[in-house]
Amino acid sequence: MTTQLMEEPPLGRVIVITSGKGGVGKTTSAAAISAGLAQRGYKTVVIDFDVGLRNLDMTMGCERRVVFDFINVIQGDARLKQALIRDKRIETLSILPTSQTRDKDALTKEGVETVLNELKEDFDYIICDSPAGIERGAQMAMYFADEAVVVTNPEVSSVRDSDRVLGLLSSQTKRAETEGADPIKAQVLLTRHDRGRIDSGEMMTVEDVLEILAVPLLGIVPESQAVLRASNVGTPVVLDGPSGAATAYEDAVARLIGEEVQMRVLADRRPGLFQRLLGRTA
Amino acid sequence: MSARYEQDRCAHASLTVRPFQIRGRFLTALALRIENKAMDAGFFEALDDHLRATPQFFADAPLVIDLAKEPGLADPKQLRDLVDNLRRRKLLVFGIQNAGLLKADVLLSLGLIPIHNGRDAPAPNEKSVRASRVEKLLPPDNRTVVAPVRSGQMVVAERGDLTIVGSVASGAEVIAGGNIHVYGTLRGRAMAGVHGDDKARIFCRSLDAELVAIAGLYQTSQTLEAAGPDRCMQIFLKDERLHMEALA
Repeated sequence: MTTQLMEEPPLGRVIVITSGKGGVGKTTSAAAISAGLAQRGYKTVVIDFDVGLRNLDMTMGCERRVVFDFINVIQGDARLKQALIRDKRIETLSILPTSQTRDKDALTKEGVETVLNELKEDFDYIICDSPAGIERGAQMAMYFADEAVVVTNPEVSSVRDSDRVLGLLSSQTKRAETEGADPIKAQVLLTRHDRGRIDSGEMMTVEDVLEILAVPLLGIVPESQAVLRASNVGTPVVLDGPSGAATAYEDAVARLIGEEVQMRVLADRRPGLFQRLLGRTA
Repeated sequence: MSARYEQDRCAHASLTVRPFQIRGRFLTALALRIENKAMDAGFFEALDDHLRATPQFFADAPLVIDLAKEPGLADPKQLRDLVDNLRRRKLLVFGIQNAGLLKADVLLSLGLIPIHNGRDAPAPNEKSVRASRVEKLLPPDNRTVVAPVRSGQMVVAERGDLTIVGSVASGAEVIAGGNIHVYGTLRGRAMAGVHGDDKARIFCRSLDAELVAIAGLYQTSQTLEAAGPDRCMQIFLKDERLHMEALA
């Protein structure tokens, strides 16, 4: 894996991955996007805000290396350096796991802010993996964000929940409450996109979703066997061999850092060299 | 400063002879709450300043000493000193609150009645009275929102028209005392003329609403007439019925 080291001060961008609805692919997306950013050489940390239902460490394949967690750091029982887990595959990627035994009330605004400020001094991108819902955990995950990736499935209830979350992002966050600050830059990431089901009218079209949400599209991730497979073996999908989903996440990462990449949806049917080349030339 | 003191005595007078009547009596008194243990010259200087500033306020008003903050002052000698000083300033001290362990005969010798269960009355709030009077004179207050209204959000224009430049999502509510204009698709709920204005109307670029209401008369999506997609619509009241009409 090639990683270039950077000399400039870290960017310190806080990006929340959120959705409102559960099961749409927040944690998968958080793992894939953070791995994608780290692959490009950005120092990246991904934080699990789902206190009590921690999953990110499993998706990242580091659940056996968790000693201290985010809540320990917030409560002053451990230092940040002790809780951060460095990924074994990519040097620039770290994971801050959460506690499985506590609940969301353990997250305090001051504690979260302190941890984020400390991370900003070392990392280019701080990815906050939000829990489902719009309660405390989700509020804390989004409060200090600079950017938001709203993960949405092309179906009515998911879109509606995402719309609700977009409303909260523009009203209940630090940027929204600070006079004169730029609003949070929110983009929608459409996951579990299934051409066949859209054509048969079972799912909403991309245009319909964007018309309702009225925010820019970050990417379209196809429904893919690769996602489940990668999750089961504890590998972010972008690191688990070529697949339509991996390419889609790589494109999304490119757009996230400001590159212009044409929108495309690759089916999963043609694995192998041809698709791999397509994925790399972007 | 002011306190309400309830005087409540039970009489055990004989019922056969009635040279008098026993009546319940409420009286308003001021309470002087001591906030500072040091009862020195500085204390009385501050008190004198206060008396000079508002002389009428204290004239003829009965006064209660309140030791809630400084129970340490409940000492016969210090209390006598305080009472003498207050009476010298023509303050009508007659009672003491939160006197703690002081004996009844000590209080009696000072001419003080121990008072229980006195409650502080809130200071009268002139502002609220004034505000409610001003509200009726305010001009209409229109409101314009140049962003989509998201699910779960509620936008209200209490006294005027509401204009939304963007769509209103399903699960959102837009409410106005006057008309509602939506330059986008209306998918949520829109309520115009909420204060009873039956001339109010709802306008939108495309209608897919959960509920529309004018002056309290409403229709839900199930009873909404099927309009062609992407047609500008207006909704208004006529003969106590909601009418929907495509605009050109």
